[in-house]
Formats: sequence, C-alpha cells, structure tokens
Amino acid sequence: MKMRKLYRNIAIVTAVFMLVLSVMMGVSYYQMQQVSPLETGVMETLKELNETNDDNEQLQQQIRELDLLSRKAYFVQEGQLKTGIYLLIGMALILMLCLNLYFKDTKSLPDKQLDPIDEWMMKSHARKYLGWAAAIAAVVGIGFVVSRSIADKLLTAPSDNQDELLADSHQSGENIETDSLQVVADIAADTLSTAQQDVVDTTAVEDEMPELKIASKAFRGNNSSASSSARGIATSWNLKGKKNILWQSPIPKHGYNSPVITGRSIFITGADAQARELYCFDVWTGELKWTVKADGIAGSPSAMPKVNEDTGLAASTVATNGEQVAAIFATGDVICADMDGQRLWAKNIGLPDNHYGYASSLLMLGNTLIIQYQNNSNAQILALSAKDGHQIWSKSSKDKIAWSSPIIATLGGKSALVVMGNPAIAAYNPSNGSELWRVECMSGEVGSSPASAGGVVFGASEYAKCIAIDGATGETLWEASDYLPECSSLAATKDLVFCATSYGMVCAYDAKTGEVKKEHDLTTPFYSSPVVVDGKVYLFSNSGKVYIFSASTFDLITSFDTGEKTFATPAFTDGMMVVRTDKSLYCVKKN
Amino acid sequence: MRKLLFLFTGFVTSLSAMAVARFPKPDFTSGYEYPDIVHGAPNELLWNVLDIVLLIAMMALVVWAAYKKRSRAVIYSVSFVSVAYFGFFRSGCVCSVGSIQNVVMAVVNPDYHLPWYVLLLFLLPILFALLFGRVFCAGVCPLGALQELVNIKHFRLARSVSATLSIIPWVYLAFTILYAATRSQFLICRLDPFIGIFRLGGDIGMISFGIVLLVMSIFIGRPFCQFLCPYGALLSVFSALSWKKLEITDKGCINCALCGKSCPVDAIRAPQYSKTKENRMKGVHRIIFFAILLPVLTLAGALLIGSQSNALSLAHKDVYLYEQLLQQQAHPNMEESLEVETFHALGGDIDELKAKVDDIRRDYRIYACLAGALIGFVIGFKLLKLSLKRSRQTYEISLARCTVCGKCFNYCPQNKSTQHKQPLISYL
Repeated sequence: MKMRKLYRNIAIVTAVFMLVLSVMMGVSYYQMQQVSPLETGVMETLKELNETNDDNEQLQQQIRELDLLSRKAYFVQEGQLKTGIYLLIGMALILMLCLNLYFKDTKSLPDKQLDPIDEWMMKSHARKYLGWAAAIAAVVGIGFVVSRSIADKLLTAPSDNQDELLADSHQSGENIETDSLQVVADIAADTLSTAQQDVVDTTAVEDEMPELKIASKAFRGNNSSASSSARGIATSWNLKGKKNILWQSPIPKHGYNSPVITGRSIFITGADAQARELYCFDVWTGELKWTVKADGIAGSPSAMPKVNEDTGLAASTVATNGEQVAAIFATGDVICADMDGQRLWAKNIGLPDNHYGYASSLLMLGNTLIIQYQNNSNAQILALSAKDGHQIWSKSSKDKIAWSSPIIATLGGKSALVVMGNPAIAAYNPSNGSELWRVECMSGEVGSSPASAGGVVFGASEYAKCIAIDGATGETLWEASDYLPECSSLAATKDLVFCATSYGMVCAYDAKTGEVKKEHDLTTPFYSSPVVVDGKVYLFSNSGKVYIFSASTFDLITSFDTGEKTFATPAFTDGMMVVRTDKSLYCVKKN
Repeated sequence: MRKLLFLFTGFVTSLSAMAVARFPKPDFTSGYEYPDIVHGAPNELLWNVLDIVLLIAMMALVVWAAYKKRSRAVIYSVSFVSVAYFGFFRSGCVCSVGSIQNVVMAVVNPDYHLPWYVLLLFLLPILFALLFGRVFCAGVCPLGALQELVNIKHFRLARSVSATLSIIPWVYLAFTILYAATRSQFLICRLDPFIGIFRLGGDIGMISFGIVLLVMSIFIGRPFCQFLCPYGALLSVFSALSWKKLEITDKGCINCALCGKSCPVDAIRAPQYSKTKENRMKGVHRIIFFAILLPVLTLAGALLIGSQSNALSLAHKDVYLYEQLLQQQAHPNMEESLEVETFHALGGDIDELKAKVDDIRRDYRIYACLAGALIGFVIGFKLLKLSLKRSRQTYEISLARCTVCGKCFNYCPQNKSTQHKQPLISYL
C-alpha cells in the first residue's frame, strides 16, 4: 500500500514537472521561431555601416564578435530545448512506469453479470450508424458535386468575362503600380485564346490596317529612350505554333540592327560583302515593301572593312522622323530615303577606323540626323540635314573609340543630345552642338548606350561603373558597380534603372540611390537592351528567351523561349512588337 | 533485462543528440576559405539488412511468446526495443505502414525502383499475418508499440461506434493509394503523427497531434491502430484468414469472462447469445439486401469519388500550381503566390503545364474511381458482415482486430498454472 502511494506521488510530481517543462519549452520554441539572430537591428546597422566604410577593421571585428555571440545564443537556446526534450522523454518513462505499477493490481473486471453484451443488438446499432454515416457522406459528396458544377458554370460561362478582364487590365495599365498585375491578366487572355492560335487571316486584317499612332523612330524607341507608350503588348507568343504571331518574314541580308517603326512601315538594314541595303516592311503583313541600296556612293570603299563577326556590316539601327529614314553601314556610307523608298541622298562620311566594326545607331531630331561617328582616329558627332544630307554642325572629340549610340533626353526642361564614350558622358545642345556638361567616368570599350528618366542621365559600361548624372547640372548623383552591361544598354524609369549583363545577371538599381533593388541570375547573356513598355520591361536574351518584368518592382512576370537567337532590341507600336532575330523579322500581336 | 533495455534506449537516444544543428554560414567574409565538403559514402545497406533481420527476429519472438509461452512480458519487451530502434534510432522511416505507398507507386509506375528492403518491409508483416495474425502490430511496429507502452487503462467505446469508426482506416488506405498512384504525395508520411516524436522535431502540428494521440493512448488502447492505421486495415484481412489461430489459452475456455474486458482493442468476443429475437426470414432478407447493395455501393463510391477527381487532384503540386495560375489570371489583383512567382522565374510554360495537368487528371479519374470503389465495397462488406450471426460457445479472439498484445493471457485463469512466478513487466 505504501509503495502504491509512493508510485502515485511520483507520478503526480512527474506529471506536474512535465507540464511545467512543456509550457517552458513551448515558450522557448515560440521565442526561437520569432527571433532571427543574424537579423537584429544592431547587426543590420553595423552591416550597413560596414558597407560604407570598407576598411574599418575595428567595425568588422565588432560585427564578427556580435555575429559569433548571436550564433552562440541561438545554439545555447536550441541546446536547452533539446535537453528539455530528453528530460521530457525521461520523465514520460518514469510517469508511465509509476502509473503502470500503481495500476498493476487493478484489473478490468468482467461485467457479464450486470450487463451482458447483446452482440446482435450491437450489430444492429452498428449497421444503423454505418448506414447513416455512409448516407451522410454520400449526401455531402453529392452536394459538393452539385455546388461545384454550379460554381463552375457560373465561372466559365461568358467569354465576355475575358473581354472585361482585358478591358479592366488595360485600364489598370494606366497605373504603373498595377502593371505587373495587368500582365497577368494579359497572360490570362493569351492563354485562354490558345484555341485561336492560327495566324490572323490577312483578308480580315486588310479591313483594319490603320496607320499606327505610336512610332519607334530609332534604336530602343523614339529618341532612343528605351521606353514606349505602346499598350496591350502580348506577354506570350509562340513562333512555331503561331500563337500571337501576326506574321514572320525572312530578311534578305544579315544585320544586328534593330527594327524601327513609323506609320505602317518597319525599317531595318542588312549587308554583306556584295551589298548594303535598307528594307521597308509592312507592319500589318510583314511584306517587304521596298529596298534601297547603298551603292554608287562617292568615297565608298571598294573593299569591305574588316569587322568582327559579332558586329557585322550592318550593326547600326536606322532612324526616321516619319518623312525620311536614314541608315549607316560599317563602310561609312549613309543613305536617306523617303517613306516610299525613293533614295533622297547618300554620302560616305569616311571609312570608320573601328576594329570591331561600326555600331553606333542613328538618331533624328526633327530634320536633323545625328551621327555619333565612332572612330579610332577622328571621332566626332555629326548633325546632318535629313532632307539633303548637308552638315548642320559637327563636334570633333578626342575621346577614344566606343560603340555606344546617342539619345535625346529632356534635361532641365529642354531636349539635349547625350552621348556616351570613353572616357565621358556628355550632353550637347542638339541645335548647335555646344557642350552642356561632360562627366569623365567611363573606361574600357564602351558598347552600352545611356538612358534618361526624370531629368537624370544614367550610363553604365563593363569595366567602368554605373553612374547617375543630374541632367541639369552635370553633377554626379551616385555611382555603383554591382552589375554592368557590355553590349546591352540601360533603360530607366523615374524609380528604377534596368541593366542586363552579358554574363546573365540582370538587375534594377534604385534611380535615386544606386542601390540594387532587385537582381535575377538568369544565366544567359544579353546583348539586346531592355525596353520599358506598358509598365513592363521586355528583355530578350541572345538565345532568344524572353523575360518580362514588372517595371515597378522588377519582379519577373513571365519568361519563355522563342527558339530564335535574338540580339536586336524589339520595337513597339500600338499593340504590336516587332522583333528581329538572326533569321527573320516577326510581329507579335494578340490574336 | 530491464536495465539492459533502459541502457539500450538511453544509448540510442544519446546518438541522436550528437547530430549537429545546421545554420547558415556567416555572410560576412573574412577571407577564410571554406574547405570542400566531403561526404562519406553512406553505409545504408548494413542498416537495411539489420532492419529486416530485426523485423523477422522480433516478429518470430512475438509468435513464440504468443503461441508457445503466452507471455505478455516478451511482447512488451519487444515493444521497448521497437520504439528504441525502429522509432528513435531509425527515426521511424521507412516503416511497413509507409511502405504501402512505395509498393503502390511501383505497381502503377514500372519506372519506379522499389528498394528490396522496402518490399520486404511491406511483405513480411503480411506473410506473418497470413501465418500467425497481426504479430507485427503486437510490438514490432514502432507506432503501435509506442501507444502500447503508454497505455494504462482502456476505456472502450461502444462496440457499435468502434465498428463504425473502423471504416476510417480503409478510407485512409483508399486515399493513400490514390495519392501514391498519382504520384501526388505520400499521405501516410505526411500525416504520420509519431514521426516528429521519434525525430525529436518536425512539423509542430503533427507533433501536437501525436502527443494528443499518446495522451489518448493512456486511456484508450491504441487509438491510432484502431481507428487510423491503413496498414492495420490491410493486415486485418490477412489476419482474419491466418493459418494459425491465436487462442487465449490452449487449455480450453471456461467462460469465466475475465479476459473479456482485458483487451485494449476490444478484440475478444463473448459467447454469442442474443436478447433480441428476430424472425429468421427477416435476417435472410437483410443479408440478401446487403449482398445486392454491395456492388451498388461499390459503384456508387466509384462514381462519387471519381466525380471529385478534379478537386482531389489539387493535392498534386502541378495541378495546384496550374489552378493557382488560373486564379491569378482570373483575379489579377490577387497577391502572387510563391509557387506562381517561382513558375514565372523559372520560365515555366503554361501550355506545357496544362498538358502535364491533363495527364495527371486522367490518372486521377481512374484512381479516384478505384479508391471510391474500395470505400464503397468496404462499407457494403461491413454492413453485410454486421448482418451475419455466428454461434460462439466460448470467448474467442477476433483475429482481424487482435493486435497480439498479450494482455488477455494474464487474465485467463487457465494460463495461471504455467505462470506461477510472473515478472514485474507482465503487469504492465
């Protein structure tokens, strides 16, 4: 009897101990879940300080010590929790042993005499319960089936929903903050319309082939701004299945230049050892409307210059002002034609001494054609009349050779010509070529082009840096060197600067601070440049993979492979995107 | 013996304490170069062989203890070893209960390689059940053994209620097969209530569920084995057909009724007599009715569950992702889930995903029908079985329910003559 009491008391004490220990462990566990030892406020502050003080050994030592202390504290707590578990297991063993010993003489006695079990009655009840349970389960199941089918019908019925969805999403496109969500709606529309993947019937298109209001008049859009006001661009397409593909046409001659759009014309160039040509395609049908050859030009070299295979003879993108279109080739030949394919003028501005090949694209501001004439011996900026080719002004430079293209930026409320080279980014008055400011910040082989947004000029080049310059004063706002482009150019909004590298990293810098806001390791090289359209950033990898990001957050919205290598930057117009691949030209438009 | 057991348990428990906790490396560089991590080749084969050898040895020991010695002490000791070795030391994985899933996957997918020891873990308890009943459940299964060790009293549910609840393991089994066959998930592993306890960590929800079950086990005999275990359901079929029938005593039952209430899983059936008188023809008609109802219920179950195959298929990660993508498209203002974000980040193609989802849903239609048919059949069969009258003159063990824990042996006065001096552990 005494022993029974002892077992009982031990069991009670053990049970109470276990209960208290369990509560303590629960609290400790909760604390551990809440705490992230390496993300304390102090640690974060010290780390931030360290980023701005690179060589502060004392600070680094302090961080190391705090790091070690935090880890120790974490592991000590974890160790305590583990010890607690072992203690609980031990206590549970004691409790069970004591309870067993306490109850060892109290056996369950039969109750046959008092209440004999009526097995048949039990079975009858069991049948009833089981029958009811099965019936209830069946009714619930059927109810679920019916309610689900009704819900499905309500959800799937009208195709108008899709239109509403599109309309809604289109409206929401006005707000850049909701742009990424709109893309998802676009994807919905694209996906839901897979049944209509056939190429649009050209006869149907004939009736609706208006002149397009939104143009893309130079490399990376109007003013080479790396942005477009186009809307409703498809976010998925398939070249093989012709999903969202309006047309795809072959290009007579090879070239790395990008398409340019105005009215219903697309302009690109192509060249080989035999000929250098300017092509005009119809934006609605993809039909080659006309070709203008760069031949018979006085001063044009008889033999083609030696160029790198990655650059070719037609790397420069053409420029248009809606009335004339001008093209330049690696030979230094410049030609200009009207919208009907009549060659207006042609001249050779001198064979560029360029070891990779001439690559700078043209730009038009009104009737002025801007050429950033990159040359090892005589670099200059030329302003020619688009009508007849006469020189309006020129600006010689002692800068080293580069492969960058000029842009027109609005700085201090006025249009300014911004060029980037080695070693400077400089702004000029486009009407007379006078220098507004110059910041020497670049080095190496500058192939990337600048960007501008909110009155700030951004430039970046591999082996140099990424820089933000106040467009009004030429003052450097920030510098960064986290990720730098080789061939691809920057694109910018007032909040973010987008950068794609040739080693597969893409990132968004904070336009105000230069801090990397978001980065993606896409493990594929980029020569094509990002373009900001409709709240999204479109970017093609060399292999032809498309990445679409949110322009507000730089979250990757979607990506897919087109199957054709793409080095050029796409051009955008109303609901359409024209892409040049190494094989063809195609137009993406929602079916 | 007890000392040895405690020492062994303590030893294997301390082994797990030696595991090193993982923690991210310092992100603050100091120039120190981390050496390459070299992983030693795992010597898993030895442990697998030991698992199988121990499984066979322990089941054989239970057979010997139950059939020859009628000794609970041995069976109880086996429970200790099982919890210590299969539970805490081997972390409760792979167990025979979970092996159902591997076997199902191997059956439906010829490309899936079924490890030999997993096959043996699945087959050996079934083989022993066919020969001697559910000796695996006795104390060899760490899940059952853990509940057995903590059991003090066994308050029983009304037999009619427990008979109804005994359908649950079959429903669990049906869904386990469905999800394994469609490669959606291993339901048993996911819902194992004791794995977190054996591993001293894991999903807090499942650990809590395990603790609740263990607390219940103090007062109710093996609640998991009785009302949840899908492998137990499977073994009950083979056990009912076992070659050797377990008896409480080999000296003949004297109907003293002492064993009647000793069984924690209510597997001892009293001599059949009924206070309720029923017209014989009424009973016959009921049997005919339920015999006809059996295929009807099977078909109805197949249709009902089959009709829900689309909803059930959401358990598959690809279908779930696809549905999330559609949801996202339908509600563009909805916050993007991590799955959707990852899908986009990895450049997923929704058309490809749709094709994959279509295949998965086709599989679901087939296996959901089969799962429904199994559930319908079990309900129908149970109703039919509950309509049969059996004459019984003495107390008998229901072989399908009996988990061979051996508690009844000590209650039987007929066995007392051979158990003059009982070890302390016999009382547990």
